[in-house]
Amino acid sequence: MAQKISPKRRFLSGLFGGRKGDRPPVGNPTSIVSQELMEKTGIYFPQAHLEPKQMAELAAAGHEILGFDSIMPEFSVQQEAAALGCEMDWGSPSMMPDARTHPFQRVEDLSIPENLLEKPSLKVVLEALNILRRQYGHEVAIVGKVMGPWTISYHMAGTQNFLLWAITEPDKVRRFLEVLKEVTVLFAQAQFQAGADVVVLADHATGDLVSPKTYEKFLLPVHKELVQRIGGPLILHICGNCADRLRMFVEAGFDGYHFEWQVAAREAVQVINREMSLVGNINNATTLLRGTPEDVYKQVRYSVKAGVDIIAPECAVPLQTPVRNLRAIVEAAQEGF
Amino acid sequence: MLKPEDFYRVLREVDFGPIEELVKKAVAEGHSAPQILNEGLIAGMSILGQEFKARELWVPDVLLAARNMHRGIEILKPMFSKEGGGSKGKIVLGTVKGDIHDIGKNLVSIMMTGSGLEVIDVGVDVPAEKFVATIQEHQPQIIGLSALLTTTMLEMRNVVEAIKGSSYDVKPYVIVGGAPVTEAFAQEIGADGYGPDAVSGVEVVMKLLKNRV
Repeated sequence: MAQKISPKRRFLSGLFGGRKGDRPPVGNPTSIVSQELMEKTGIYFPQAHLEPKQMAELAAAGHEILGFDSIMPEFSVQQEAAALGCEMDWGSPSMMPDARTHPFQRVEDLSIPENLLEKPSLKVVLEALNILRRQYGHEVAIVGKVMGPWTISYHMAGTQNFLLWAITEPDKVRRFLEVLKEVTVLFAQAQFQAGADVVVLADHATGDLVSPKTYEKFLLPVHKELVQRIGGPLILHICGNCADRLRMFVEAGFDGYHFEWQVAAREAVQVINREMSLVGNINNATTLLRGTPEDVYKQVRYSVKAGVDIIAPECAVPLQTPVRNLRAIVEAAQEGF
Repeated sequence: MLKPEDFYRVLREVDFGPIEELVKKAVAEGHSAPQILNEGLIAGMSILGQEFKARELWVPDVLLAARNMHRGIEILKPMFSKEGGGSKGKIVLGTVKGDIHDIGKNLVSIMMTGSGLEVIDVGVDVPAEKFVATIQEHQPQIIGLSALLTTTMLEMRNVVEAIKGSSYDVKPYVIVGGAPVTEAFAQEIGADGYGPDAVSGVEVVMKLLKNRV
């Protein structure tokens, strides 16, 4: 068996398609917090979205208790929306946060505050990353997360409005993306500076909502620019069945793509041809939430054999996910390649 | 003769001009409102629905078509009250408690309305009791539940139980859908039907309505 290496080296090697260590890395580009994990740590939502020490400690449980090779402290997808002025419902231990208002219907309404990174919902993430860096930075991969301009636009204007504009007012969509991409750049760069090894860029132009053409027309040029300007390693997260646009993600220049179970892993590996790493794609709804550890084991081994570079749940796990199923991911990966 | 393809084409236009023109022309030619609705708008929407199912069209296209369809129906409305309409069935739609996502539900609503069903949309974050209350208030034949999140999907079980356990003599069928929902899950929680997408949802409803009659 290959030499045992630290979680951080394992994760980074997987991200860059490098030397294989002792076993496949297990990472979490999106939240792996569940109610059971909250009970085990005594740290609960919504406080863990708002207070840096609690955010860091709950995130670290993903490594300490579940055995993942990465720690990712941003659990919600709403930190940017809150910083930009959407009214928030921060949820509860059984509910993720959601923006309650989408007040920005015109480009003129959008403005990026000068002290953006000082806004509490962003500052908390930067501080949590900093805490984690100091405590775990030597051996565990520290993962940050930012929303791309497409996702932030959903929150600003309402998803349905924004999607309709893609046909009725394409110029408006372009201008929203132009303005809001600056939020993504600023927050991502700050996360690297705060201590992230890699940042997940989530931009929900999902395979179930928009066509590959829409991605190509509106987002591909923006994503290319983001990759260049941010500078640090990025994992793209877009949910849904994106099998028809994987090459576009390669073209954008991302280091990794975090993908869902409904995208066939073997085909994805073939299409991507090692030009980008694949992170995923253990099924949430059927396997992790409602399956047994044996079901999880089978899926993990399938993904490893298919050539997925970093094994991870396909998306933020449901809050009722049993801890034993999350541990089963790591246990299955420990069998090696 | 009304051509569904003509209606399909104007449903996809960005402006209201073409749909208004086509509907008014059909009226002028002497077609009745139900005829224009069924053989024109609904037939056109059905072509669009099939293309959506086949991933040739996407959510923005359907949202646009819905906007146009509403405009077309508005023009026909005054004629309906004169001639008398009559829907194929009544369905209550809502997103379950804890979930504020409504696009999936809205697509289903669009497709159902587009198929001649009367849709009562009770919105998002709807508690089980509110779904049950609609049985008396609206007497729907079917109640449709939506959830986007794996977390809130589990709430569907409570709603199904509340409806099935309610004291009404005639209980509506319950159908479920949404990204994380599967056929197996629908069966497990005792739902009467499941559709993987909005168009299949309409097919499920039509089948259930046949059973009831």
